[in-house]
Amino acid sequence: MAGPHDMATGADMPPHLTGALGLWTWDLANERVRGDARFAALLGLDPGQARAGIAAADLYARVHPEDRLRLRIAVAGVAQGAEVFAREFRVTTTEGVRWVQARSRVEHVADRRPQSFSGVLTDVTEQKRVEDRLDVAQSAGGVGTFEFVDGFGTVDVSDQFCRLLGLRVADTLSVRTINATVEPGDPPLIGGVSNAEPTFRSEVRIRRADTGEPRWLAIQGERRIAADDAGPTTVGAIYDITAAKAAEAQLRELAATLEQRVEARTQERDRLWSTSRDLFGVVGQDGVLRAANPAWLRLLGYEDSEVVGRSFLDFVQADDLAAAGRMWSGGDAAVALEDLDVRMRARDGAWKWVNWTVIPQGEAFYAVGRDVTERKQLEQQLRQSQKMEAVGQLTGGIAHDFNNMLTGILGGLDMVQRRLASGKPAEAQRFIQGAIASAERAAALTHRLLAFSRQQTLDPSAVDANGLVLSMEDLLRRTLGERIDLAIELDPGLWSTVVDANQLESALLNLAINARDAMPDGGKLTIETVNVQLAAGAQSELAPGDYVQLSVSDTGTGMSPDVMGRVFDPFFTTKPLGQGTGLGLSMVFGFARQSGGDVTIYSELGRGTTVRLYLPRHLGEAPAAEPKAAAPAPRGAGETVLVVEDDPAVRPVVVELLRDLGYVALDVSGAEDALAILQSQRRVDLMVSDIGLPGLNGRQLAELARDVRPDLPVLFMTGYAAGASRRSDFLGPGMEMISKPFAAETLAQKIRAMVAAQSPGTAGAP
Amino acid sequence: MTEGRIYLSELEVDALTELVNICVSRAAASLRQMVGRQVFLSVPSVEVVGRADAVNLMAERETGGLVAVRQDFDGAFAGRALLIFPEANSMALVQAVTGGELSDADMREFEDEALAETGNVVLNNCLATMANMLQRPLEMSLPGVMRGEGARLFQLDEAATADGVVLFLYINFAISERDIRGYIAVLMDLSSLDSLKTLIAEFIARVVGPSAAAEV
Ligand SMILES: Nc1ncnc2c1ncn2[C@@H]1O[C@H](COP(=O)(O)OP(=O)(O)OP(=O)(O)O)[C@@H](O)[C@H]1O
Ligand SMILES: [Mg+2]
Repeated sequence: MAGPHDMATGADMPPHLTGALGLWTWDLANERVRGDARFAALLGLDPGQARAGIAAADLYARVHPEDRLRLRIAVAGVAQGAEVFAREFRVTTTEGVRWVQARSRVEHVADRRPQSFSGVLTDVTEQKRVEDRLDVAQSAGGVGTFEFVDGFGTVDVSDQFCRLLGLRVADTLSVRTINATVEPGDPPLIGGVSNAEPTFRSEVRIRRADTGEPRWLAIQGERRIAADDAGPTTVGAIYDITAAKAAEAQLRELAATLEQRVEARTQERDRLWSTSRDLFGVVGQDGVLRAANPAWLRLLGYEDSEVVGRSFLDFVQADDLAAAGRMWSGGDAAVALEDLDVRMRARDGAWKWVNWTVIPQGEAFYAVGRDVTERKQLEQQLRQSQKMEAVGQLTGGIAHDFNNMLTGILGGLDMVQRRLASGKPAEAQRFIQGAIASAERAAALTHRLLAFSRQQTLDPSAVDANGLVLSMEDLLRRTLGERIDLAIELDPGLWSTVVDANQLESALLNLAINARDAMPDGGKLTIETVNVQLAAGAQSELAPGDYVQLSVSDTGTGMSPDVMGRVFDPFFTTKPLGQGTGLGLSMVFGFARQSGGDVTIYSELGRGTTVRLYLPRHLGEAPAAEPKAAAPAPRGAGETVLVVEDDPAVRPVVVELLRDLGYVALDVSGAEDALAILQSQRRVDLMVSDIGLPGLNGRQLAELARDVRPDLPVLFMTGYAAGASRRSDFLGPGMEMISKPFAAETLAQKIRAMVAAQSPGTAGAP
Repeated sequence: MTEGRIYLSELEVDALTELVNICVSRAAASLRQMVGRQVFLSVPSVEVVGRADAVNLMAERETGGLVAVRQDFDGAFAGRALLIFPEANSMALVQAVTGGELSDADMREFEDEALAETGNVVLNNCLATMANMLQRPLEMSLPGVMRGEGARLFQLDEAATADGVVLFLYINFAISERDIRGYIAVLMDLSSLDSLKTLIAEFIARVVGPSAAAEV
């Protein structure tokens, strides 16, 4: 390979440049060009030939046709006296097309044409490619670049550079034009002090030349030692940082005002704490209140000192303790509890319904409680009116049934009378039997109706759901009408469940009415019971364990998903005005949840619906079987029973019955006569009293009776238990209740049980 | 130059650049003679823009704090040549051209005169070369010195036809061993693009020979 000494010109070249640069001399007079080995290699010439010199025309021939004339013009320019020669052009070699750059500087001497000029040739193919890519990157990345030779009045700039300053796109801008965009007081973009460092970065505010819009630019660059004598060059880039600056300023502002805002927020919170009508409390994991807000005083009448330090549960009504206990004693402390209705005792003894939301936070729970007493009362009223509505729906069918039954009774009695009149008492027996059967059916029906329409609070006890379904069968059949087939499929081994029996009846009736309404053209209603064991997560709302499942399926219209999504909403109904309150399913839902169970609905449009009630399994003893009417009535052993009944039709019947059963019966028509007997020395083992007495009612009478005979058992008879809505509230120890009408056997059983429980003598005279 | 391509082909821009290159080089040579020092030139940058755009372009470049020697010309094409440097540099330039023979006070007194004379030599040379190269006579005004904020260095003749183009070029120069840097700007109002193209074609043919020009 040819070394620098091989150069035909004899010029000594720095050895390290020989590889990178091709050296050449252009002889203008003879139109020949000589070059070194690198020059030859770049142009695809034979090195020997290049050293010897080739005709300029041969060189032009190797140049890409599009660039050929441009090169010729540049060479001609030098011949004419131009001092700077710089041209990029393409050459075609065996290895393909290559971009090269030829550069030279010629000193012009007045009145003398240059004879030759020498320069360098470099391969810029790669550089071109990079520049192209850089161009794309620059406009995409919003980066403008510049190159500036120290002290020169102008700067070579990229298109993006001009755009960033809002200047017309140009290759060259005067330094002053660029710096004029800078805000007064900020360092100049070009030629500032900072540009004197080997590498620099600064931030400058500008005003765009076109719009006058203020922007922040970052300028970053590097100074390079002069490649030729012109002076050091600064190469750099600018980019817009307005958004970042704005964010930074905002952040600084935020930091500066943080304290202020925290204080404001704290004040806000304090205000909320002290002025809120809702109860706020902080409760430790032990359930002890750590803090309470003034709403405790306003709503419940407690001073701070009476609340803090006490267990939250101290304020909760006994019935709601289990639910309230879950608020923090539950294992899953990380889960917030919402929408928990609990009765709280006010200082004056009144009860307030409070809806609690509890959020665990670190070592404590934050509890917020809203007074929902009024809402609860409304709900209660609504529930009641809903029941009445259901009764109303039934009345048409029931009146018909009732008339049938009355016909059976009256007709039967009429026949008896005739048989007796005609002296055939033996034939009368048949009709008496028929009349009693009709009367019993009528009694059962009214009993159901009354039980249903009576206000019931949840009174969970062990219930045999199968028995309950069977006992309702009659009522259901009548409700459903003839076009609907009722199928009952009961699991003979069904567990007992703990629910309020009345509510369950009500729920079943509601479901049956819904099913009936969904089958206007008739169909089949299936009531099914079965035991289910739920694994964890099987039914998202339910704890794993044993449940009694009661399902009601129909072959009716079914529901669209849209309707399905809303059926549990109170007042949601698709039925015409006046026909549905939309409370049926929400009551069923409320009942199921309150009982620790759940409801699910499966429905297909046009095919039917299945509603499933999941009820918790009762783990104690099986519920006491209903006394069988067929069992022989237990007899008395001469005990004395005081009967208080104002109705002259009922009183003799009861008295006769008692005497038949072997008791001594004393009968009075009012409380006063009864008290007279009780205050006397007469033996009384049991008092049977109507509740609805004129003057003192049965309950008040019992109260006074206990004053003189504290252990006297009392059995109330009631036709309608208005005011006795909660059995346990109404009945004291040693008191029982029996609903009218009652079968003789039922009365006998009750009395026997009560008298037997009473050890002889203690209930005697005072 | 992207903008120029709308009006002129790449080759024509090249040729124009080369033309200016030649002219300024000649001017630099005379400056070199005057100051007795090396004068370096940058690669010229040429922009050819429409007249409407040019007004904006000029406005952008209108900045103060400069001293300029200006010489207007008229003929086949009209225009203005400017020798521009920062105001702070002007005394150094005066000192350079007067060879340090004058006292500071004298220099201040003759500053404008010396600048005008320098500009005259440099720009005259440049423009004369241009007239020569294009083979068209040019009439030249007397050089004037403009300075300070608001000097409308690049003001255009408003009356010129609106469909013309404006040629705008820069060449930076640096005088070695003296801290003098500045640039030469030439502004040409080429009211008829066709006549410019003709001039360029003629120039190309002349410098490379008619046969080579026809090759393209
Ligand atoms: N078995 C069912 N088949 C089809 N749709 C039903 C069924 N049960 C309930 N729905 C739909 O759900 C709605 C809400 O039922 P929900 O029992 O809550 O109220 P309601 O029956 O409309 O009125 P209410 O029960 O108070 O008389 C009904 O209006 C009906 O559109
Ligand atoms: Mg309903």
